[in-house]
Amino acid sequence: MSAVIEIAGLRKTFHTLRHGRRVAVDGFDMLVEAGQVHGFLGPNGSGKTTTLRALLGLVRPDAGRMRVLGADSPEHLPDVAGRVGAIVESPQFFANFTAHRTLRLLALAGGVPTARVDEVLEQVGLRDRGDERVKGYSLGMKQRLAVASALLKNPELLILDEPANGLDPAGIREMRDLTRSLAEAGVTVLLSSHILAEIQLICDHVTIVSRGRRVAYGPVEEVLAGFDQHQWRVRVADPEQAGQVLGRAGLSVAVAPDHLVVTGVEDPETISRTLGEQGVWVRELVPLRPDLESVFLELTGGHEHVAVPRQVDGAPPSDGVIDLDVRESREVDA
Amino acid sequence: MNLVRAELERLAARRFVQLMVVLLAAAFAVTVVTTLAGSHRPSPAELSRAQAQAAENVRQMEMTYDRCLRIREGSLPPGENDYLPRDCAQIDPAQIEELPSAADYLSGVFVFAKEAEPLLYFLIAFLTLFGFLVGASYIGADLNSGGVVNLLLWRPRRPAVLAAKLGTLLGGLLGLSVLASAAYLGAFWLIGQASGLVGRTGGDFWPSLGAIWVRGLMLVLLAAALGFAVATLGRHTSAALGTVAAYVVVWELGARLVFQMLEVGRPDRFMLSSYLAAWLSGEVRLWDNNACGPGISGYCDGSYTLTWTSGLVVLLGLTGALVAAAFTVFRRRDLI
Repeated sequence: MSAVIEIAGLRKTFHTLRHGRRVAVDGFDMLVEAGQVHGFLGPNGSGKTTTLRALLGLVRPDAGRMRVLGADSPEHLPDVAGRVGAIVESPQFFANFTAHRTLRLLALAGGVPTARVDEVLEQVGLRDRGDERVKGYSLGMKQRLAVASALLKNPELLILDEPANGLDPAGIREMRDLTRSLAEAGVTVLLSSHILAEIQLICDHVTIVSRGRRVAYGPVEEVLAGFDQHQWRVRVADPEQAGQVLGRAGLSVAVAPDHLVVTGVEDPETISRTLGEQGVWVRELVPLRPDLESVFLELTGGHEHVAVPRQVDGAPPSDGVIDLDVRESREVDA
Repeated sequence: MNLVRAELERLAARRFVQLMVVLLAAAFAVTVVTTLAGSHRPSPAELSRAQAQAAENVRQMEMTYDRCLRIREGSLPPGENDYLPRDCAQIDPAQIEELPSAADYLSGVFVFAKEAEPLLYFLIAFLTLFGFLVGASYIGADLNSGGVVNLLLWRPRRPAVLAAKLGTLLGGLLGLSVLASAAYLGAFWLIGQASGLVGRTGGDFWPSLGAIWVRGLMLVLLAAALGFAVATLGRHTSAALGTVAAYVVVWELGARLVFQMLEVGRPDRFMLSSYLAAWLSGEVRLWDNNACGPGISGYCDGSYTLTWTSGLVVLLGLTGALVAAAFTVFRRRDLI
């Protein structure tokens, strides 16, 4: 698969009179390949938006190399800009313009046929409200308009920064369906979001950033698998007794009033057989899989630990990144 | 070209631009209506009376000039109330730029030839203010609202985008100014025809009015470019307004006061307002209070002149420098 976005060693420091020097991105790497729906996760202030802005030529990086659709950014960005649709943070529009006029002016400026305007308004569910002024729009509608503006170019690469901001549950679902349909149509999507469950539902790949550095990346399933502690929730009639049985068998067990949590067992048969041999019958045996939220919080929570980069997809390491085996790295964190 | 078309439409659709155009139209309408209401076509009797008064005034001037010559020759003793300039040529009616005419003695009659210049100055002043404010808000609001970022996502060529915006602004403003001034002067010329007098529009009337008009249009464009540049540098419309306010208070008022206290020679040559006046009126004659001090005996002329060329150099140089700085800064700036 060809690389659509390549970022290596991106570094950006902001200097302001009020806040002094602030490192926003510190040697960040990213690889997004064609056809992926790639989630971009990180806490507030971790450098997501700065990275996207640098990639789109809005911020000048201090160091690093970036390529978009094979073109060096920002030098050759104009060569591929017509194939990249993007929204960065919550774009503002002129309140007195209608959505239709807003998009028509963008289409005109970008040399896109204005017939696309109605198509994208339809795509984002704003066709019936397209002739209303933007000032009457809810936050969610403005967000849809922003996505519509990104879709105008019929892009090969779509970069969406927090597209679900302000959307109600139905809107989030529509946005998810839209993203999926675009991905099915062959559009590569880079999606930055705080809604981790959404990322897990939509994205096939993910990059997690903390303090301006990449701390995890790869296919979502593999990232999650890397954090799988092989835990099982076991329900029995007497959890206390079952805990003693499993403990004597050398398993790691935590006893709760109405269930047990067994850790570090790959095959559930080990649990049921051990209990069965002692006459304890299992009522329920459920695997406890990590979700993206728990992984995200473990990697980025509180910013208190020094984030250790990890690679889980076997992709070649990028410059400046220490690649560790998942298990080893988890032990490091532990 | 598409970018310019889109920008032109965006500019025309801005509320502030529309408001200023409405204000211009309102000021125009009020002036036309009050002029029409206060003017009438003079009757033949009024006209002949005014012509007689003008002729009488000219005759008086000729007599004063003749008397001056004779006093200077020594053939007539000077009277107590005689005004005697150093050179009688100064009061020679033949050398006076504009002799009294009937129009000067017509009450309640709008005379186009007499009023055209101040009317044009009013229009230029309005358009200059309009240009500065629109220039500043056009880019200031766009930078502030993320409009520029939106545009750069489509056209990631910063100098081209900024140049398109500035070009659109100046082109649009020039078009509006030409139309407004044509409509404005045309309307008053018609009032003169229908309900007043056109007056003497021969000689260098039109070339002189044309020169003021051209210089005025240039000033409008310079003001717009200046507002645009300062707002770009300051990222906000208010940066341009604040800069102008600060300049007027700190330099034009404060520094002028300091120069006076320190008895600095020719302080007006350090003030933009002097060059502005020189550019607009062709030249400006200024007085240096320190030139004729107590130590100088005899006749002392402490005046000096700033011409339109020095005005143009200063205004063009300042605006050019600020526009160049705006482009340089915008090219490298982080848009966050």
